[in-house]
Amino acid sequence: MAACSRPTCFAPESTCDLGHLDRGKCPVWKGRVEEAATQSGTATDELLLPWSGSAIGLVDLGFIAGRTKPLVVGIVGPQNAGKTTLLAAWYLLIGRGLTGADRRRFAGSYSFAGWEAVASALRWTPGHYPSFPPHTTSRGGRAPGLLHLAFRTANEEVRGYTFTDAPGEWFQKWAVNREAVDGEGARWVAEHADLFLLIADREALSGPNMGSARGSLQLLARRLASERAGRPVALVWTKSDVAVAPEMERAIRDAVLGAMPDAREFSVSIAPSDDETADEGQGLLQLLNWTLETRRERVVLQPVQASISDPLFLFGAR
Amino acid sequence: MSVSERSILLIGESGVGKTHYGAQLLKRLMKGDGQLRMDGAATNLEPFEAAMESLNEGMAAGHTPTTTYVDSVWPIADVGGRKAELVWPDYGGEQIKAISSNRRIPAAWRARVVNAPAWLLLVRLQQTRVSDDIFSRPLSTLKGTGIENREVQVSDQARLIELLQMLLYIRGAITTKPLATPRLCVLLSCWDELDADKQPAAILEQRLPMFASFVESTWSEPSVLGLSALERPLSPRDRDMEYAARGPEQFGYVVLPDGQRSTDLTVPIQRLFDATL
Repeated sequence: MAACSRPTCFAPESTCDLGHLDRGKCPVWKGRVEEAATQSGTATDELLLPWSGSAIGLVDLGFIAGRTKPLVVGIVGPQNAGKTTLLAAWYLLIGRGLTGADRRRFAGSYSFAGWEAVASALRWTPGHYPSFPPHTTSRGGRAPGLLHLAFRTANEEVRGYTFTDAPGEWFQKWAVNREAVDGEGARWVAEHADLFLLIADREALSGPNMGSARGSLQLLARRLASERAGRPVALVWTKSDVAVAPEMERAIRDAVLGAMPDAREFSVSIAPSDDETADEGQGLLQLLNWTLETRRERVVLQPVQASISDPLFLFGAR
Repeated sequence: MSVSERSILLIGESGVGKTHYGAQLLKRLMKGDGQLRMDGAATNLEPFEAAMESLNEGMAAGHTPTTTYVDSVWPIADVGGRKAELVWPDYGGEQIKAISSNRRIPAAWRARVVNAPAWLLLVRLQQTRVSDDIFSRPLSTLKGTGIENREVQVSDQARLIELLQMLLYIRGAITTKPLATPRLCVLLSCWDELDADKQPAAILEQRLPMFASFVESTWSEPSVLGLSALERPLSPRDRDMEYAARGPEQFGYVVLPDGQRSTDLTVPIQRLFDATL
């Protein structure tokens, strides 16, 4: 069967990449119509959708980014640190309507199946206790799976966000060697993310391998500091209910804040907080708020220096 | 006075009460004491004949076959004498479920989605829920990681939002501005099951918060109403004597946005068309 010549378009197996519901109207597809019609007499008249609902890959990103360029949130951390759990917890909280309702409202997502897949582990289902989401497997991809959310802010503006769900191994390889072969996905995150959440796993930092956990996190912080080019960073302590030796905490903080003095610090946990009333974990909403409030850095033009207010003479005047 | 055709895109999964509402709406239109009344005779009452017959006997109507999709055209007029033709569909709710799960939209549905100036979404809150999770029912020790490839049940909220997103895409209505058309009315059906006296929008916000916020942020003026088409549960086998004696047109109510009840079942339609009739 004839296929579309655009490399990012998989018509006729999926929808037209350029958004034509009727393929015959697409300028790239034109001319293939007759050929396709004769070859496939069984062509269905069903309409396909340009998004599958699963985590978004690079090819599908065009559909999400067509409306507004989404803010890419890079979640960076070693394996088993809780990156996917953080995403799952956020999705569950948004499902309960906890998004800071006065400031913004949930306005959709094109990766519901992806969100549901990570969040389902934390749900009670018949025959299953909640558990941590499964390990994000490293398939050596070029880019991480992206999970999408859109919010409408109080001033009626739609903002899109994509969150990276990348395996921790990528970042560990990348921390050691910037050009590591299997660190390509980590390099993608480093290049494209608009802000970074550096995940510090308190459980690993107090566990039997605390020394190597500290070492690899320090390396990662150093790598991130040299790659971030001024983009915002937050140091996120996950599993904040686990106690860590004060010296360990200081060592991590020194490594992160020493290299990136403007980094914000958050502690999160899905364990219930001490006051019984809140069923929203600890610190998760504060971190979500900060993440959603962060803006891409903008170019600020120099104000015009002039002594005359008449616009005709504004620029020539001294 | 020109007669305009107004078709309604009725969206509802199976078991939300599309046929019951259709039959009761038809009865009210024929009775003619509401905001809208029948102006002449409907071309084809066949799709609702069996349902109206069951209701007359005080019994619940049967399930609409999956593959059915019949449009009935009803000439209607409002209290001001403005006339329109209401196109009211009846179909098996599995078609909606199939669209959600197959992620393919039959061509026939595309025409409906694109042409209808108003969408009426029926949601039965008893059929939907937000399941308990680690925040609502904490577990003191969360150990071990999940099994990979465990079958994921997509939550009801996500499924409903995704369905609306698909229909909006087909209509080409994905914009950054809140939508003015198609007008949307969310009808919370089987209100008598809910045992609630709050406003419909508040109930929706409480039961399906993510869905409510999606609707709020996508449409500029969505309306959320409650509906109890039958007013009480009926069984498909045993007859309700009072129902049979007084007639189904004496039963059923709509819950208005302010929480007030109205026995006029034509109000949701009248509100949807008020701006365009």
